[in-house]
Amino acid sequence: MSAAAPAPRVFFREAIGRALAEAMGSDPTLVLFGQDIGRFGGAYREFTGLFERFGAQRVRDTPVAEAAMIGIGVGAAAAGLRALVSITYMDFLMLGLDPLVNYAAKACYKTGGQVRVPLVVKATAGARGQGVAHSQCIEAWLMSVPGLTVVAPATVADAYGLLKSALRHDGPVVFVDHKRLYPTAGELPTDAAEVPFGQARVCRRGDAVTLVAHAYMVRVALAAADELAREGIACDVVDLRSLAPLDVATLAASVARTGALVTVEEGQATCGVGAEVAARVREARGGEPFRVARVAALPAPVSSNPILEAACLPDAARVTTAVRTLLS
Amino acid sequence: MTAAAELLRTMQRIRAFEEALAQRADRGFQLFSLGQEAVAVGVCAALGPDDQLLTSGRSIAAALARGVDPVAVMAELLGKQTGTNRGRGGRGHLAQPSRGFFGAHAVVAGNLTIAAGVALALSMRGRGIAACMFGDGACGAGALHETMNVAAVWRLPLLLVCDNNGYSISTPQAAALAPQPLAALAEPFRMPARSVDGMDVEAVRDAAVALVAHVRGGGGPAFLECRSARYATHSTSTRETRPDSERAADRARDPIRAQQQRCEARGEADAARCAAWDAEARAAAAAALRAADAAPYPLAASVLEDVR
Repeated sequence: MSAAAPAPRVFFREAIGRALAEAMGSDPTLVLFGQDIGRFGGAYREFTGLFERFGAQRVRDTPVAEAAMIGIGVGAAAAGLRALVSITYMDFLMLGLDPLVNYAAKACYKTGGQVRVPLVVKATAGARGQGVAHSQCIEAWLMSVPGLTVVAPATVADAYGLLKSALRHDGPVVFVDHKRLYPTAGELPTDAAEVPFGQARVCRRGDAVTLVAHAYMVRVALAAADELAREGIACDVVDLRSLAPLDVATLAASVARTGALVTVEEGQATCGVGAEVAARVREARGGEPFRVARVAALPAPVSSNPILEAACLPDAARVTTAVRTLLS
Repeated sequence: MTAAAELLRTMQRIRAFEEALAQRADRGFQLFSLGQEAVAVGVCAALGPDDQLLTSGRSIAAALARGVDPVAVMAELLGKQTGTNRGRGGRGHLAQPSRGFFGAHAVVAGNLTIAAGVALALSMRGRGIAACMFGDGACGAGALHETMNVAAVWRLPLLLVCDNNGYSISTPQAAALAPQPLAALAEPFRMPARSVDGMDVEAVRDAAVALVAHVRGGGGPAFLECRSARYATHSTSTRETRPDSERAADRARDPIRAQQQRCEARGEADAARCAAWDAEARAAAAAALRAADAAPYPLAASVLEDVR
């Protein structure tokens, strides 16, 4: 019996590009909107080749006007197309929150099911030296909006699989692609599957503590787990993948084994992803006690100054310190 | 029935509908179009069955002029399960896309970019145009600039209709908006624009027909300003701030009376006929209220339905 051929390794941008190309090929109603996604191919070259293959009607370069970009995507989707709007930096999503939150997320409900909005907003998040208004991770803000789905892949396979699911969903989805993941590569089988919403992924098994992260911070959590393993502390590492809906069952099962929860996120701790995860696990666990710590950005803007940026953001050392403190 | 008489009767139905609802003690918060009927009726007279109309929250006249069932509109405004939106949208969010009324949206300027998206979807499907009605209050918002810019660059089939009643709640136009007339906003985007008397339903219709022809012909977006006057306060929960003299002058420009006089002068309907139509309209409004009253409220247990 011969071993199966190893899955090809691709870059993060290639996984996104493949998901987009396949969806564009199978769904003629899908239209892409974004700044510099046409011949330029997108800020991270994730749109490379789509304009040439699918044309200017379906791969639309927009003016620098996020409110209009999202509003037009929402309106087009509500009227029978399917839309993906690419927001170059998640910070600029704030300019388009009105059509996303006040219209798209409520359209199905407020029309009694007459209008559905099959829309994906791809918002590139995270810090990489670009300063206070180009570095933010505001996905936690969106988790509290009824009607919105929020996903944030950490791997190549999940970038592909979650984007494919988002491009088939009949409601609005925010797809968070972290910019520090673009240089990463991973295996993407030729028959790679869609990844359903609401399913976290346990990417490392351990019984001492549960580390919960999403997007780029999964890599930070895994690096911390490597270091802690050398000290005999075995971490369960859970990649959320989907922030809304949240896979509380997987989180609660992990904490049931470990009795300790450390959340890791690049956004703020206050009203953050970790706060929600801790509260939901607490509710699910009933009276069972467990210890909790949150690791997040410090309560300061994220500077482009490399010393200040690094000081603000979580890294493996801060995670290991938090774990040691919690377990001591 | 002549076209002029149809315009009159539609305005009568809207007036009777809103006045019937306004008299109800339990009507709740409402946004009436009293005085502004000619704008919605004139614009809708220029639209066809494949077109979609979007509006601001002030949408009762537009929904009825577009042909949405008054019984379903009344039920929606009173929060009943049989409403256009199953009672979940309420005032400000009436919608029935299957009747060409894509819907109201009660965020000022919030439906403009949506309308551009609807226009894009219609153009890619190859039939129909989108029209979006908004108040002068939306003309200070960035969404209008962004929408006009993209619509012009992409030549979207979009008719922008500014129903200019002169006030953002209590703030007069002159205190909030620099362009004069508001139709001048369209000039930098090189789209055809007209400013008409919004209390004259035929003037609105004639301008809308001309601009819709431009839009439908692939010429890109167009802008229609209709100078109107609202007879009631901004909403049922807003205080009146305008002097009585100004309100009396507005009342003297009643679009329904003007159209009736026009019909009579042309010999298209005499006073008795117009009065009979008005009585019919009032009977229909009363029937819509009775039907809405008889309908059930949504079940509290349905609160989580249709969320995602």
